[in-house]
Amino acid sequence: MKLQTIFASALAFAFIQPAAAEGQNPIASGSAMAWQCAPCHGTNGQEFLEAMPPLAGMPAKQFTEAMIAYREGTRPAIIMDRVARGFNDAEIEAMAVWFEKQPVKQWENTSLTESQNAQKANSTGGQK
Amino acid sequence: MSQLENKTFDQKITRRDLIKVFGATAVAGTGIFGASSKAFAKNAQHVVVLGGGVGGSTFAKYLRFADPDVKITIIEQYPEYITCLRSNDVIVGMHTLDELTFNLDTIKSKYNVNVVIDKVIGADYDKKTVRTEKGETFSYDKLVVSPGIDFKFEDYEGYDAEMAEGKFPHAYKAGPQTLELRRQLLAVPKGGTAIIAPPQNPFRCPPGPYERASFFAEHFKKHNPTAKLIVLDPKDRFTKDGPFKKAWERLYGYKTDNALIEWVSGSDGGRVVRLDAENMMVETDGGDYKADLINIIPNQRAGVLAQKIGLTNDSGWCPIERNTMESSLHKDVYVLGDSSIADAMPKSGYSANSQAKVCARAVADTLKGEQPGTAIYSNVCYSLAGENYGVSIAAIYEVRDGLIQPKGESAGVSPITDKVTQPILEAVYQKNWQREFVKDVFS
Ligand SMILES: Cc1cc2nc3c(=O)[nH]c(=O)nc-3n(C[C@H](O)[C@H](O)[C@H](O)COP(=O)(O)OP(=O)(O)OC[C@H]3O[C@@H](n4cnc5c(N)ncnc54)[C@H](O)[C@@H]3O)c2cc1C
Repeated sequence: MKLQTIFASALAFAFIQPAAAEGQNPIASGSAMAWQCAPCHGTNGQEFLEAMPPLAGMPAKQFTEAMIAYREGTRPAIIMDRVARGFNDAEIEAMAVWFEKQPVKQWENTSLTESQNAQKANSTGGQK
Repeated sequence: MSQLENKTFDQKITRRDLIKVFGATAVAGTGIFGASSKAFAKNAQHVVVLGGGVGGSTFAKYLRFADPDVKITIIEQYPEYITCLRSNDVIVGMHTLDELTFNLDTIKSKYNVNVVIDKVIGADYDKKTVRTEKGETFSYDKLVVSPGIDFKFEDYEGYDAEMAEGKFPHAYKAGPQTLELRRQLLAVPKGGTAIIAPPQNPFRCPPGPYERASFFAEHFKKHNPTAKLIVLDPKDRFTKDGPFKKAWERLYGYKTDNALIEWVSGSDGGRVVRLDAENMMVETDGGDYKADLINIIPNQRAGVLAQKIGLTNDSGWCPIERNTMESSLHKDVYVLGDSSIADAMPKSGYSANSQAKVCARAVADTLKGEQPGTAIYSNVCYSLAGENYGVSIAAIYEVRDGLIQPKGESAGVSPITDKVTQPILEAVYQKNWQREFVKDVFS
């Protein structure tokens, strides 16, 4: 399948708020999942000085395409292929939307207030 | 911020650093990071955290994200924390302990957390209080405990905690023992023998003993090529054993006549049962081994504090509710990190950090009277099989059938391929990861 097609179907899937299938957990919130990325990508994805790419401010489309490509094995990876296989399309989309809203600056230079405002902005909407 | 960024490991941002970079006046006020110095409302709920290591410190920071108003206190026995992460590097001189030393200054100033340096000696679950060595009592609404591990010296005849502080360091909590082990490694005579005896499962940092073994072999290769390391293991398998053994073959002649490293499995009698300190010998199920350096990494159980305040079960570890990390034995008490029983998750710093975040949300939700959301956990362990050769294991976890289990097809170790770039890049990522990780925990 071409990347474009995968991406298009991923989005289509994401917009039909998926009800959890029988026996499956409802999806975790975008920020709960995004927090799990911090040890490698910085608190709230705000690490701009290391080899792992920053996720804060990354356009949601770029994040989603990359994660799906990692998961499907169409993008070369060291470790992200394994990580991406833990997430379904809706989960990837939820993280993408959350990261896009985070301040594009080093975490150490971000005040707690700035950060909290960014969280609020996205918890009220969540749409791109 | 360049002066701060240029430091490789020492990412703690102390007051002194700040003054160096920004000048004293900037630092004097409410804090350049906008950390509020507001007093808490009299009726603010109080979350008390025992242990300011990986689990405790991450928890406090992320609880502040989840709840701007709750009062948070960390009680930690030592003013400074030396990370075990990368402490194997110190043994072979790749890093110094100073570079691995952190404190709770930023947690206190940026996240408005009350930090108390004192040792906790008791808890009263009816009154909801904890007591400290200095005689203070703290009341809590929620108590979070992340005390690390304790060692079962009694599993080895002739070995005890005092000997570990002297000639037989386990070096599995970073500190003076790490430096003593380094001294002993450098003192192994030409053509001498070193022994590493890893513990039985479960234990802190499952790849730790094998990374250490790799470093010993690399050290011998460079400085003492006729010396040899023997790993005496009570187990038949260990984490990432595929990629580790492949690396040992590629780098240290594993399984050849000139091997710098030999691994004896449990089935082959590898389990150490006795230390004969006087004769520098260990007895195993398969016979005696003499050596110039003996590094027993003892079997483990939950930290002493967790045992003392009744959070452990017969296994020696702390049972928890998988969605929240709340103790199965005491209400409003949560256990994080190495001490907890987290099923498929390894006892790693990454896991402790991950669990702390899930717990922070659960505590914040519960205090607001809301139902905690779906828990999602993760772990990535990068290890070095040589200075420039990395191997990794990764997984995302969810709660399924009452257990923490890998989610989707995420669980996996580094593939073994002929691509030289894979292990090299993993080594690069390993080093990056360490720097990022300590920032996520302590700043
Ligand atoms: C050699 C080695 C290498 C490692 N490498 C890695 C790695 O690369 N990646 C990784 O993810 N993990 C690694 N780990 C594992 C990691 O260090 C632990 O899993 C992690 O520290 C667990 O966090 P914790 O909060 O459970 O315990 P700790 O971080 O040990 O924190 C416990 C804290 O509680 C305090 N405390 C205990 N009792 C009391 C008391 N009574 N009163 C007050 N305070 C108390 C202690 O002083 C300590 O600060 C490594 C471990 C070792 C030994």
